[in-house]
Amino acid sequence: MIEFTNATVVYPGGLKALDDVTVTIEPGEFVVVVGLSGAGKSTMLRAVNGFVPIVGGSVKVLDQEVRGASNKDLRGLRSNIGMIFQTFNLVNRARVMNNVLMGRLAQVPRWRSTLGMWPEDDKELALQALERVDIIEKAYIRASDLSGGQQQRVGIARALAQDPKILLADEPVASLDPVTSHMVMRDLQRINRDLGITTLINLHFLDLARAYGKRLIGLRDGKLVYDGDIADVSDEVFRDIYGRAITPDDLLET
Amino acid sequence: MTAIDAAAPVSGVRPQEPTSSFRFVVGAIVMGVGAAIVGAATLGIGWLWGAATAGVVYGVLWWLGLARSPIDAGIMVIAGAVSGQWFVAVLDGRAGPVDIAETTPAALGFVVFGAAVAWALRHRLTVAAAALVTVSWAAAVALPTQYGVGLGILADLGRRELREGVLQVLGSSFFTMVPLLAVLFAGSLTVALATKRAAPASVGLAVVMSVISFNMIEFSVVELFTQASQIGDLAKEFWPPTWTWPKTIGQEPTNVIIDPFIETLQIAVVGATLGCLMALPLAFMAARPTTPDEPTYWGAKSFMNVIRTIPDLFWAIIFTAAVGFNAFAGALAMVFFSLAIMSKLLSETVDSIELGPLEAARATGSRHAQVIQYAALPQVLPNYVAYALYIFELNVRASVVIGIVGAGGIGRLLNEQRNFFQWDRVMAIVIVIFVTVILIEMVSILIRRRLV
Amino acid sequence: MTDSTELWTKDDTGPVIRPDEPRWPKIIRWIAVIVIIGPLIWGLLGLEISADNLRRAPGQMWNLVQQVWPPDFSETGRTFEKILESLYVAWIATIIGATLSFPLGFLAATNIAPRSVTLPVRSLLSGIRAFPELVLAIMLIPAFGLGPFPGALAIGIHSIGTLGKLTSEVIEGVDEGPIEAIRASGGTRMQAMQFGVVPQAMPNVLAYWLYRFEINIRASAVLGVIGAGGIGDEIYSRFLFVPDRSKGFAALLVMIATVLVIDAISASVRRRIITGQPSRSMMARLMQRLFAKKRPAETSS
Ligand SMILES: Nc1ncnc2c1ncn2[C@@H]1O[C@H](COP(=O)(O)OP(=O)(O)OP(=O)(O)O)[C@@H](O)[C@H]1O
Ligand SMILES: [Mg+2]
Repeated sequence: MIEFTNATVVYPGGLKALDDVTVTIEPGEFVVVVGLSGAGKSTMLRAVNGFVPIVGGSVKVLDQEVRGASNKDLRGLRSNIGMIFQTFNLVNRARVMNNVLMGRLAQVPRWRSTLGMWPEDDKELALQALERVDIIEKAYIRASDLSGGQQQRVGIARALAQDPKILLADEPVASLDPVTSHMVMRDLQRINRDLGITTLINLHFLDLARAYGKRLIGLRDGKLVYDGDIADVSDEVFRDIYGRAITPDDLLET
Repeated sequence: MTAIDAAAPVSGVRPQEPTSSFRFVVGAIVMGVGAAIVGAATLGIGWLWGAATAGVVYGVLWWLGLARSPIDAGIMVIAGAVSGQWFVAVLDGRAGPVDIAETTPAALGFVVFGAAVAWALRHRLTVAAAALVTVSWAAAVALPTQYGVGLGILADLGRRELREGVLQVLGSSFFTMVPLLAVLFAGSLTVALATKRAAPASVGLAVVMSVISFNMIEFSVVELFTQASQIGDLAKEFWPPTWTWPKTIGQEPTNVIIDPFIETLQIAVVGATLGCLMALPLAFMAARPTTPDEPTYWGAKSFMNVIRTIPDLFWAIIFTAAVGFNAFAGALAMVFFSLAIMSKLLSETVDSIELGPLEAARATGSRHAQVIQYAALPQVLPNYVAYALYIFELNVRASVVIGIVGAGGIGRLLNEQRNFFQWDRVMAIVIVIFVTVILIEMVSILIRRRLV
Repeated sequence: MTDSTELWTKDDTGPVIRPDEPRWPKIIRWIAVIVIIGPLIWGLLGLEISADNLRRAPGQMWNLVQQVWPPDFSETGRTFEKILESLYVAWIATIIGATLSFPLGFLAATNIAPRSVTLPVRSLLSGIRAFPELVLAIMLIPAFGLGPFPGALAIGIHSIGTLGKLTSEVIEGVDEGPIEAIRASGGTRMQAMQFGVVPQAMPNVLAYWLYRFEINIRASAVLGVIGAGGIGDEIYSRFLFVPDRSKGFAALLVMIATVLVIDAISASVRRRIITGQPSRSMMARLMQRLFAKKRPAETSS
């Protein structure tokens, strides 16, 4: 489903943010990526939908090579990958429904999206996505009028509306308080279980990773330093990933 | 060791008291006055006056602590003498028309003088600064001198006249202004460099530009008041306004203002609407977050900046030249006029939108145009509407004006009546314009206030 | 994690009632369309822009292009002379506008002057603004004769209107703290203005003056068309006479280039005035590099 083979990402400044990473993720998996700030977590996620320049190796997603893919192929690929952001990235001035419908943009004919005349089917999909994250009653409210947790649910709904095969979540709960964080994480876990969507999540907090993850990928300075079952993760491994022992800062709730 | 010494930090270097810019300003004024004396008086024995002025300038520099070396003094005095003498040479050769060949040495003299001052200053300033002083000094002298030659002002100005009415000439003649302004500018620049503040140079430059401008277009406050006192006679021709007159000779007088007036409004509406719509793609192309690629960005941005330099009336000139003297040309002109302003305003707004939503939209696999429509446009829509109203307001004003070159509307009527010296009718038209502009501004402000 | 199923409400509570899609966004959209399209159609019909007109326009534009191309730069010297004249006019107009609008700006600021003063001053300013420069110049030319003088006056008067409004807005935006402090320590009204208001407002006001200068350059270029001096007449008369159009076009190009350069300089100065930071323009960087390295002081030779 997602195959990193010796994948290397170098940013325009010359910084090697992902260094010779080889990982395979099977359909339906729920994978958590951890690492220090700047370790390359976001870079890894963004390599999946081709947002970063892959200069070496290969990243194969849904049988499509990302490296060197044409714009058209990339668009096709991205339409199958939902993405969830730390800062939600909603269009604040637009209503929730319109934000969610953005997930359908790649599917509707051009003239329809231009005129804003959405097919009923797509509207239905968007409403169902909102129902899944339990925020349907806010469908026609401006996105900026929602709380942070609600906004992130709309972000998830936008990704779900794509009817994606893969879900990428880049620190989805980093801007939320602990209680809301757990609710959003549960939503994501639910979606992974119920719909079987392959999910790749960046997390900052180790206890969240332990609580919700199955498989854990550890990055350090762009290199893969751990890949395995989360249950097997020892303090030793954490020291490997973080270069130090665990401190309360690494936990959401101490 | 005293207690104070012990308390002082080990490596504590006390900050130097900043040199008071007041002293520099005083110095600059003295320099200016000194140079003014040269300007007025390098008539007889030029070298003597030049040397004397250089001495004064050097004294000021010495007082300021900017120049201490006797060698500097020597160089400056010699340079002053040379430049003064050169100026005299120019004046003497001024019996007939003066040409560039004769005035260039004079300018050169001042360049030498400027270079000498810069040389004297080099201990305090960098070489680059000294070079800049020289260059600006040279430019300040050379440009107006050459210009004076071009206008033949120097030719008319006799040495005797100068002698007889030094003061009057000082104020008005271009000739004495040359050294005066040159020194003023160079002096202020020197001060600016010495104090590392832009203000003295800016003030100097502004004064120089003002003096040149007021003289060049012969702007006179006296004339302003003389004319203003006679405004009563003229007012009789303007007042009372005449609202109706025959369309062609022999016809009944009717209100002929109304049709062109409506035409003006139509030109404004069409121009504003089409211009604002066309500005949408252009603005998104010329804004960093939404531009498709680098060449498009630079292309759109350059196009935008170029069309922005063309005033409304020039658009009308261009389009009347192309499609004839009609309202169609006027509408086309207004389209481009609106396009220029709107694309500029909008692209600057787009430059500061949030990027997150754009990325989110891109991540769903949307096309570029969809990303813009769904993630960027909503962010700038309120601004866009406010700008559009503002542009409509501008368009009403501009569409009056473009009629003057024949692009239709009430402006054309205004121009016709002006050419016939029908000032009472002109007055009526002006009143209509005035009231319309005020009304539209009021409505536009009301709506814009509600938008925000 | 056991409670995660409870939190997933969908299956437990049955279908959540979906809210109705509100009507008003659609209505607003239609109103917007009507407001845009309606007047446009009214305008297009009124202007009698026929299909014929539109069909011929591209050909006519192409004719014009052929007439003006290649531009004839043979009279660039004269063009520059005229552009300079426009610059003089613009500069003087800006000076008139700046000096006279400054006190008026204070009188129009609601936090400085009483309402009985601001109201008439404000209406005076907006009255001035309602006269386009060109219309003003047409009224002034009979009094002062043709030439740059009435042009400068007209643009200057118009600048009073715009600058006065902007100045008053800047003054209304200043921080009231220093003013109160000065008043509290026994300062007079004038002192409060001089030390409390002016320093705060000056950078922005200065920037507006410069910006007005940029605009006035365009305005003075335009005024040439009615004989008020400057480049306008040069371009206008050249375009009227077909064989001369390439010269007129050359003059237009020279004017565009000049205006672009002045705009760029003025914009970077404005940025510097407002932010207090050296601007990032190429010129500024060059200057920085020139002056950054201090050479060790040489002994006098
Ligand atoms: N667009 C970019 N251009 C240049 N360098 C970048 C860019 N984005 C990220 N980097 C650099 O690449 C490295 C990895 O960044 P990345 O965002 O993947 O880290 P991360 O693990 O997600 O960190 P965080 O936890 O802070 O989000 C960092 O050193 C970062 O500075
Ligand atoms: Mg990150």
